[in-house]
Amino acid sequence: MDDYDIRSAASILASVKEQEARFERLTRALEEERRNVSLQLERASQPDRLSICNIGNGQPLATAWQQLVLQMKDLACTSDSPVHEQSPSNQTSIAMMQEPQEMVEETVTVEEDPGTPTSHVSIVTSEDGTTRRTETKVTKMVKTVTTRTVRQVPLGPDGLPAMDGSSPMGSYTDSIDRRYLKNGERYITPQASSTLTRSYNSYNDSYPESHEGQYRPYLGHDGYGDLSDNYGSLSRGVGYRPRYAYVPGSAYRPDDGSFTLPSRRDNYGPVAQPQVPVGSNADLNRSQPERFQPEPYGLEDDNRSLGVDDEGYELDPDYSTVNRRTSAGVPERGRPHKGRGYEEPMEPEMVEERIPYLHGGYAAPLAQPERGSMASIDRLGKRSPSIDSIRKDPRWRDPDLPEVIAMLSHPIDPVKSNAAAYLQHLCYENDKIKKDVRHLKGIPILVGLLDHPKPEVHRKACGALRNISYGKDNENKVAIKNCDGIPALIRLLRKTNDMEVRELITGTLWNLSSYEPLKMVIINHGLQTLTNEVIIPHSGWESEPNEDSKPRDAEWTTVFKNTSGCLRNVSSDGAEARRRLRECDGLVDALLHALQSAVGKKDTDNKSVENCVCIMRNLSYHVHKEVPGADKYQELDAGQTTGTGGSQKKKKDDAGCFGGKKAKEEWFNQGKKNGDLDRNFDTLDLPKRSEAAKGFELLYQPDVVRLYLSILTESQNFNTLEAAAGALQNLSAGNWMWSTYIRATVRKERGLPVLVELLQSDSDKVVRAVSIALRNLSMDRRNKDLIGSYAMGELVRNLPSRQQRSAKNLEEDTVVAVLNTIHEIITDSSENARSLIQTQGIQKLVAISKSSQSPRETKAASHILQMIWSYKELRNALQKDGWNKSHFQSVSAALKGSKGPAGRSGYDDSTLPLVEKSQDNEKSGSRDMIPMDELGPDGYSTIDHRDKERKYKSSDPSGDASEKEPLKNDTNRKNINRSNRASVNLVDARDIKPQPVDSWV
Amino acid sequence: MAFVPGQPVTAVVQRIEIHKLRQGDNLILGFSIGGGIDQDPTQNPFSEDKTDKGIYVTRVTEGGPAEVAGLQIGDKIMQVNGWDMTMVTHDQARKRLTKRNEEVVRLLVTRQSLQKAVQQSMMS
Repeated sequence: MDDYDIRSAASILASVKEQEARFERLTRALEEERRNVSLQLERASQPDRLSICNIGNGQPLATAWQQLVLQMKDLACTSDSPVHEQSPSNQTSIAMMQEPQEMVEETVTVEEDPGTPTSHVSIVTSEDGTTRRTETKVTKMVKTVTTRTVRQVPLGPDGLPAMDGSSPMGSYTDSIDRRYLKNGERYITPQASSTLTRSYNSYNDSYPESHEGQYRPYLGHDGYGDLSDNYGSLSRGVGYRPRYAYVPGSAYRPDDGSFTLPSRRDNYGPVAQPQVPVGSNADLNRSQPERFQPEPYGLEDDNRSLGVDDEGYELDPDYSTVNRRTSAGVPERGRPHKGRGYEEPMEPEMVEERIPYLHGGYAAPLAQPERGSMASIDRLGKRSPSIDSIRKDPRWRDPDLPEVIAMLSHPIDPVKSNAAAYLQHLCYENDKIKKDVRHLKGIPILVGLLDHPKPEVHRKACGALRNISYGKDNENKVAIKNCDGIPALIRLLRKTNDMEVRELITGTLWNLSSYEPLKMVIINHGLQTLTNEVIIPHSGWESEPNEDSKPRDAEWTTVFKNTSGCLRNVSSDGAEARRRLRECDGLVDALLHALQSAVGKKDTDNKSVENCVCIMRNLSYHVHKEVPGADKYQELDAGQTTGTGGSQKKKKDDAGCFGGKKAKEEWFNQGKKNGDLDRNFDTLDLPKRSEAAKGFELLYQPDVVRLYLSILTESQNFNTLEAAAGALQNLSAGNWMWSTYIRATVRKERGLPVLVELLQSDSDKVVRAVSIALRNLSMDRRNKDLIGSYAMGELVRNLPSRQQRSAKNLEEDTVVAVLNTIHEIITDSSENARSLIQTQGIQKLVAISKSSQSPRETKAASHILQMIWSYKELRNALQKDGWNKSHFQSVSAALKGSKGPAGRSGYDDSTLPLVEKSQDNEKSGSRDMIPMDELGPDGYSTIDHRDKERKYKSSDPSGDASEKEPLKNDTNRKNINRSNRASVNLVDARDIKPQPVDSWV
Repeated sequence: MAFVPGQPVTAVVQRIEIHKLRQGDNLILGFSIGGGIDQDPTQNPFSEDKTDKGIYVTRVTEGGPAEVAGLQIGDKIMQVNGWDMTMVTHDQARKRLTKRNEEVVRLLVTRQSLQKAVQQSMMS
């Protein structure tokens, strides 16, 4: 033992010298600290050893060290635990001594990689040809924590944990452990000399008043948060330390380089808070975990300049969010603390939170005790061997679920928070436990804890709720809502500045937002708050930009990602939800700003961008009908057309009374007129604005076209690409003035080639969205000509050939979308039909119409063939190629036959103007009278029809919808006049009923 | 919360005291109400019993006085400053809430989650 001590002393000296050089600037403060600590040492109490560490760390004077060593020796002798043995001989190692006593293990498990959410994607498409894609992404929030295992391991003389019965062993959750500790004095017995552990502190002091004092020591580490800015690289070095520790025997060798950092940290604490003697203990405790987080700190250092908690964390996928959160949170919390003077105790959890860095990789700690102990080995080094046996100690057991839930209501706060944390761990990826928690009425208690003033309590409660809210079991989500969890979360969001808590809150909300019935609830309670508290500040948008300062960039924080994900989900809830989001102050402005910043930074692949684009797309859906004042623009448009076309108004009315055919013609004609109109568009100027557009107006300003095109050019994220194409699709679908401008702007901004290129995408849904966008864009006559010449080849290439189902094996929906787009392009354009023939499209079309397994594909292909045959001037060319009339007509005849009896004219349906659709009887009546041949082409002649019908499509816009959904629609329609929402199962009450009287007070 | 007209109502209620916010000349509570005996109760999305013609909170301004006080969307207002609100017209309720000389209103409200919480605690 003496040997070791001497060696220790020597190596301590060495490292101290090294530190001396590094930390000279701290010397003065350290001196003062040393004096304080020395005084304490003289008192020869346990804590002293810890304080020794403090002194040692940073202590430049060799004498001080000698003194310390002596003291330590004394301590060691008097106490039964020969701590020195196992301590590698430098300061840090001293710190290590405590570890055996209390090891806090925390394993962080990531529920799901945020990148691979389970998403239920439903695309709703709609009348407009616009797609709304609802991606319900169940967030995978991660989480957490997990096991917090506190072990008391007394040390044997050999540095291994002593196995005598007096030491409590086993792994327990904090709270439990603490409880036991409180009662059993064994705690004090063997380890008394070795060190104070956190638990010791907690329970010796009177609860909870003593909290503050007890936590003060952590300040030292908070200080570290600051220090790490300067010393990030050092801390990384420290990270290697544990490895050396494992080496048996030689483990004692000094490892100076790696140990320097902790000492520095320890010093810093005392400097800030010299008068706290007990503190040093805790300091030691904390230094343990910190040693192991070098990487995160390193990361943080690198990013710090970008701002607290910035996206930098996302750079490293290996760190779970918890890790990121922690590293982000620490500095934040740390700084204020010092200043504030500890009104808020730094909780023990701080320690635990850091530890996860070590174990991020462990998936299920509880289930794998061995791994758990490995983890501890990592940290402890030599002590590991005995840990397994410790765990097996039969006297301890884990609390069962009812006990844990009962502990949530325990009068002592740390018990509450530990119980919540344990619950979070238990719930992780365990649907059964979640359900049990619900049945045991745990959810209302957790929700109640959200209002708890102590940060550690509401934080842990929120963490538990996040795990509970995750998953397919919507009952859990409903349970949270039923006990008013949503307003409670929002309240907490407004109250807290703790980034971690904010992430937990928004993550929970994201999870909740995946369940349809909760979407409006979230909007009602939280939309403005989420916007004001998260979206606007993190987007970098300022409503009144300061002239001097340059515009801020968006910060892709986890909070922003979660919040945008939540809003993305709720934005798919229907017309009312869209209205609320559009009218939410600053939301659209901030989202656009964020996207512009993403494009500016060429950072368009991340999840936050994806969420923002999806929200934009959803809000663009039906914008031409739903936006206040939309009529004005419609009229303008109609007015222009009437000039050329005649009495539209009257015709519209007629459509209502007489049903399909007339209306159809009318729409058809109108489409043509629009085409004519667009032909002249280049001579039109965009409207001059007297003031800058803001709010929802920004959604449809031609300026956004450039943004979407940039995203389409740059992003590699298929979801983002699809959403951006969908946004263009939505915007170009309308029949109002702005859609006309959008269609022309896409052309002027050279967007058509961008879109055409994306037809080669490997992603089915991107091809689909782009194809439908092109279809809508071709409402503009010039666009139609251009698309016909340049896109036809790509479109045809996407069709299945005889050998393969498709070159890319595209889904049925996509194939149908492509077919419908081709149909649209060749309508009214024999030139385009000719280029279809030239690209060998006929062969594929005939193959599809004859042999496709899919009736929808067959129909769509045969419609195109009919259209081609109708161009008499092309027949010669066709016949030269060996085609005859039967190739073009027979199919449709067959179709007609098959379709007639069943009355399944669904397909036609969808092409009918909206007006009719709402009147079922008339619709079916008129349908019968319309020969198939006529319907085919007409159906697509204007986008408007399509638009109206599209909503029924679940995944895609145009054509498919028309074919696929009619049946369902029919049944729906009978009861509901007309739903604005897309998917069949949505509750539609809001849309059909007049709003009841409602008075603000 | 089902009730028979003319019979006493038993409900678990919460007291909520809202301090009105002065905005210019107006005192605002920051929520909106729906319902009343002159309204179509079937359109009330919040009531369990679709014949209930009570006054319900339909919207709450985020961060407004009502929300701060704990009022929530879907709450049924039973009393305002001691006045019954279960058998009043929409307008009567509105007027009762918006007296200009009262800076504070004390509400008794009930909500489903309250009922459930009590039921659960009685069962367990």
